[in-house]
Amino acid sequence: MSRFGEVVGTNEVAVNANVIKLDNVRKTYEMGETSVHALKGVSLSVEEGEFVTVTGASGSGKSTLMHILGCLDTPSEGHYSLGSEDVSRLSREDLAEIRNKKIGFVFQGFNLLPRTSAAENVEVPLLYSRPLEPASVRKQKALSALNLMRLDDRASHHPNQLSGGQQQRVAIARALVNDPELILADEPTGNLDTDTGREVMETLVELRAKRNITIILITHEPEIAAYGTRIVSMKDGLITSDTSNQ
Amino acid sequence: MAQRMVLNVKLAVDSLNRNKLRSALTMLGVIIGVAAVLTMVALGTGARGSVEQEVTSAGTNLIYVKSGNYTRGGEGVGILSGRGAADTLSVADSEEIAKLLGVRDISPGNSLRTFIGFGEGQSFVRIQGVSDAFARMYAWDFLAGANFSSAASDEVIVGRSIAGDIFGSYVDALGKRVQLRGSSFEIVGVIDDSTDDHNEVLFIPWESLQSTINKQNLDSIIVSTNRAGEAASVAEEIRLMLRQRHGIINEANAEARAGYLANQGGAGGIPDDFTVETQAEEVLTRGLYTPAAAFALANLPKLDQVNLEEMTDTLDKANETMTALLASIAGASLFVGGIGIMNIMLVSITERTKEIGLRMATGAKKTDVSRQFLVEAVTLSSVGGVVGLLVGLMLAQVVTLILGWPATVTFVSVVVALGVAAAVGVIFGYYPAQKAAMLDPIDALRAE
Repeated sequence: MSRFGEVVGTNEVAVNANVIKLDNVRKTYEMGETSVHALKGVSLSVEEGEFVTVTGASGSGKSTLMHILGCLDTPSEGHYSLGSEDVSRLSREDLAEIRNKKIGFVFQGFNLLPRTSAAENVEVPLLYSRPLEPASVRKQKALSALNLMRLDDRASHHPNQLSGGQQQRVAIARALVNDPELILADEPTGNLDTDTGREVMETLVELRAKRNITIILITHEPEIAAYGTRIVSMKDGLITSDTSNQ
Repeated sequence: MAQRMVLNVKLAVDSLNRNKLRSALTMLGVIIGVAAVLTMVALGTGARGSVEQEVTSAGTNLIYVKSGNYTRGGEGVGILSGRGAADTLSVADSEEIAKLLGVRDISPGNSLRTFIGFGEGQSFVRIQGVSDAFARMYAWDFLAGANFSSAASDEVIVGRSIAGDIFGSYVDALGKRVQLRGSSFEIVGVIDDSTDDHNEVLFIPWESLQSTINKQNLDSIIVSTNRAGEAASVAEEIRLMLRQRHGIINEANAEARAGYLANQGGAGGIPDDFTVETQAEEVLTRGLYTPAAAFALANLPKLDQVNLEEMTDTLDKANETMTALLASIAGASLFVGGIGIMNIMLVSITERTKEIGLRMATGAKKTDVSRQFLVEAVTLSSVGGVVGLLVGLMLAQVVTLILGWPATVTFVSVVVALGVAAAVGVIFGYYPAQKAAMLDPIDALRAE
């Protein structure tokens, strides 16, 4: 429980070639009288183009890590730099802007808007870009992201007209549409059968190869974790192993 | 900014479209509220308008000055009854009245009922001497021909009934000559005007009539004022001026300036030798008004004694009561409609928590989320307002058809109806929108 991390962290923010740099990040939730230490001092650097898979049992802190990496939450202590920017103390509204510009999310449950076409689903992040781009530009970007996922012929389909794999690829297209620095995938194959899950993973691998995009993927399945170029294991709020997997 | 607004409206319309039935049911409260208000305002305005128009078209800006002071109920110019049926009005009186402020036109004259000759036959008719301004004062419709050229000419105008009875048709009457006590007159115009039985009158230029029947004094002077509202005050001025000119100044009358009933002699002073009354009084006593006007005026005591100001006051009071009633109905139905909108917005936000989470994850700020839902609520209430407007317009037409009440939909009432509908959306959409914006993105994403 040392506090060194915080002290060290503050001085190392300025120059950073990494996409991600976590410096002794801690996250503590106050639950009434008890404190839950979800992250107990996590340090992690990720370079551009890496495909990092984070594994761990439930309660290991990987979801909390995911929320902090995704700028949905802020660390209680420590520092988090995304790109060249320290985002660990930003306000909620500033974080929303960071998420919009720099992060693409892929969720276990796809989180597509029902009764809304694939193209319009992909367009969602563009609706919150500032300044707002014209509708024609937004549509064009959405279609090219779908094209990248080989779904251009499904652009006007609603989610319920698409297979699970196709839905997840629409979600990936949505994650890509704003050209983010980082893709965060939270159990993206959790709702899919093995074959479809493999298909989605291969899509991600291919995407990284083609676009040199940085991906962090959280999973509890070792087979899925094996797709990463680097595998990070977590337990009890700490990183227990961090190995290259080329 | 404007682009983002367009976007929000599009999102709202898409969202409302996805739940058509629910959206329609939610709008119902606003629809009923707006429709009810619009209909009742339309009918209220229409009723008021009809009363005003009735009174105006009958000439509320007209003042009758008659010689003699006869009891009420004696009808028709020329049949004077009661006290003092004497020729007391002089041409000089008429000239002085014409100089009064607020007087527009004046038509002095005499009237009588007598035989006129035409060709071989003769007929008993009512004859009235008028000035050339008389046509304008009553906004005469000329079926044929035109007004006579001067008050001393030998030209006359006949009402359509006389033209029809004597000459067969009004076209045939034109150019024919009629004889009265040795003088001959040419018919130069035929008019259609049901006011004061004008269709049954032969109108002769007043100076010509005076010389024909050898009279110097006048039976009546009809005066029109510049504005309808001035009739009562100008009438009072005429009354005072004539008293002075006729030497009827005494205390009893001075005290009784406001009410002419006192002039009828009860006060014990010297009674007036003339009568002044406004046309509004005449109209009301003749029962010419429509059901709508009758309804509005039903509670007026002593109908035959009111003047235009009193009538306007009564209408205004009736209108105030009606407005208060309307406001409470409108308030209640729009409040209920608003609660409906708030309720459905809260349901919608609970259902769409995951959507809100996703929007936040992809960069939606609090204002983005709150605007989206606020615009949705306002769209809901505004569309309800527009539909309510159309329903209200139709209802007003239906009521007009069935009950014969006129309905007037003013631009202002339309704007107010739509404005209020939109305001309902803002007021009742605010809380749900704030609630949505306050959601935590992580919790929202986890929601099922």
